Amino acid sequence: MKEMIRLENLSKSFSGIEVIKNISFTLTEGEVLSIIGPSGSGKSTMLRIITQLERADNGTLTVDGLTMFRSVDGKAVYSKPDELRAIGLKMGLVFQSFNLFPHLSVLRNITEAQRAVLKRDKAEAEEKAMSLLKKMGIEDKAGQYPFQLSGGQQQRVSIARALALDPEVLLFDEPTSALDPELTREILKVIRELAEEKMTMAVVTHEMHFARAISDYAIFMDNGVIAEEGAPDELFGNPKEERTRKFIASFEE
Amino acid sequence: MTGLLMQMLEGTVTSLQIFFLTLIFSLPLGFVVAKGRMTGIRIIRWITDLYIQIMRGTPLILQLIFVYFAPYYLFGASYDRFTACIIAFVINYSAYFAEIYRSGLQSIDKGQYEAAKVLGFTRSYTFFHIILPQVIKKILPALGNEVITLVKDTALAQTIGVSELFRVAQTASSRVFSTVPIFIAGVFYFVMNYIVSRLFTAGEKKLGYYR
Ligand SMILES: Nc1ncnc2c1ncn2[C@@H]1O[C@H](COP(=O)(O)OP(=O)(O)O)[C@@H](O)[C@H]1O
Ligand SMILES: [Mg+2]
Repeated sequence: MKEMIRLENLSKSFSGIEVIKNISFTLTEGEVLSIIGPSGSGKSTMLRIITQLERADNGTLTVDGLTMFRSVDGKAVYSKPDELRAIGLKMGLVFQSFNLFPHLSVLRNITEAQRAVLKRDKAEAEEKAMSLLKKMGIEDKAGQYPFQLSGGQQQRVSIARALALDPEVLLFDEPTSALDPELTREILKVIRELAEEKMTMAVVTHEMHFARAISDYAIFMDNGVIAEEGAPDELFGNPKEERTRKFIASFEE
Repeated sequence: MTGLLMQMLEGTVTSLQIFFLTLIFSLPLGFVVAKGRMTGIRIIRWITDLYIQIMRGTPLILQLIFVYFAPYYLFGASYDRFTACIIAFVINYSAYFAEIYRSGLQSIDKGQYEAAKVLGFTRSYTFFHIILPQVIKKILPALGNEVITLVKDTALAQTIGVSELFRVAQTASSRVFSTVPIFIAGVFYFVMNYIVSRLFTAGEKKLGYYR
C-alpha cells in the first residue's frame, strides 16, 4: 500500500510556545485517519502545515512521494515553489467555517479553481461541478449563492469544491463543528460515502462514534503531542491513557 | 447674459477637470497608500500613518495653499496653479481613499485567503477575483460619501486662484450685483452630486445579489 502522507518529527512554535511537539504519522492510500483531541491541542495547526497555510519549524513531510520539507540540522527546509505547488494540488481541505466565496454562485464556487488552476474548459468544469453537486444531493442549488443555503448545504458545496480538483488526499478540520446535529448528520453521511469510495482522508472531529466507525487509524492529540494512537476500536473502546479515557468520556452524555 | 453663461460653463469644465483628475489619480494611489499602511515594514507603516494623519488632521484649504506656495518659499520656484491644485487634491484624497480601502480589506475574512490558497489560486488571481470584488461591495457606500464631498471640495480650488465654477460665480455676482450666478452654481453642484449618488446607488444595487 502506498503512503500518501508521511510526517516525521514535526514541531512548530508560535512566538516561542511549542504547539506541535515531535509529531509523526503516516496516512496510507485509501485509508481514513481520524484525529481527536481537546481544543488547543494543535490539530488545526498540524492540518494547516500539511496544507501549507502555516510553515513547519522542524520535521519531514512527504506527500505521495514528493517532499514538502525535510529536516536539516534541526530545521525544516522547504522544497522549491513549483514542487510545493504540485504538492498543494494533491491536497484538499474542508474548513469548519466553509469559507465559500460569497460573490460567486454555487456552480462557480466549484468551477473557478478548475478553470483558473487546472485550466479545464468551461463545459468540462461545469460538468464536473454538476456531477459533484448531484452526488452531494444539491444539484438544484447550482445557481444560488452561498448565503441562500443552509450550513449543511454550504459545507457540501465546500466539499464539492475541494473534490472538483481531484485531490489525492482530503483533509477535514472539524467539518461539522459549525452545524447543528441534524445538519451534522448530512455531512457525516457524505464523508462516510467518500470513505466507502476509498478516498484518502484525515478528519479532525469531535464526533466520536463517527470517527470510530469510519477510520482505519485514530490519533488522540493533547498539548501538542500524540498522547495515544492506534486502531479505532482500541483507542475509542479501550483507551490505555487516562487522559484519552477522560477526553472520550466527556463526549458521552 | 450669454457671456455670463459661457464663463460659468468654463468654470464648470475646470471643476469637472479637478473632479475627474483627482479621482483618476487618487483612486489607485489610495490603494498604494493602504498597502503601505498595512505593510509589515514598520518604518513604511509609520510614515504612511503620519501622512494620513496630516491629510485628515489639517484643512484641505491649508494643504492647497501649502502645496502651491511651499516650492516658492523653499526653492524660489513657482508653478502652475492648476497643477498645484490637482497635486493637493490627489494627496489629500489618496489618504481618505486609503483608509476606506484599508477598512474594506481588513473586513475580509482570512478564511477567504486560506480557501483560495488551498485551491491553488495564485496571489494575484486571489486578489483580483476573490478579494477585490468583495472589498468593492463593502466600501461602495463610504466611497460614495467621499466622492460627493469631492464634488463640493472642488470649490476650494479658488483659494489659490483657480477659476473653477464657484470663483467664477462669485466674481460674476459681485459684478452684476446679484446672487443669481451663485444660485446657478449651487444647482450645478446639486445636479452633479445627484448623478454621483445615483451612480453609487446603482452600483450598490448591482452588487446586492449576495451577502
Ligand atoms: N497563528 C497563531 N498564532 C499564535 N498562536 C496560535 C496560532 N494558531 C494557533 N495558535 C495556538 O496554537 C495552539 C494550537 O492551536 P490549534 O492548532 O488551533 O489547536 P486545535 O485545532 O487542536 O484546537 C493553541 O494554543 C493556539 O492558541
Ligand atoms: Mg482547530
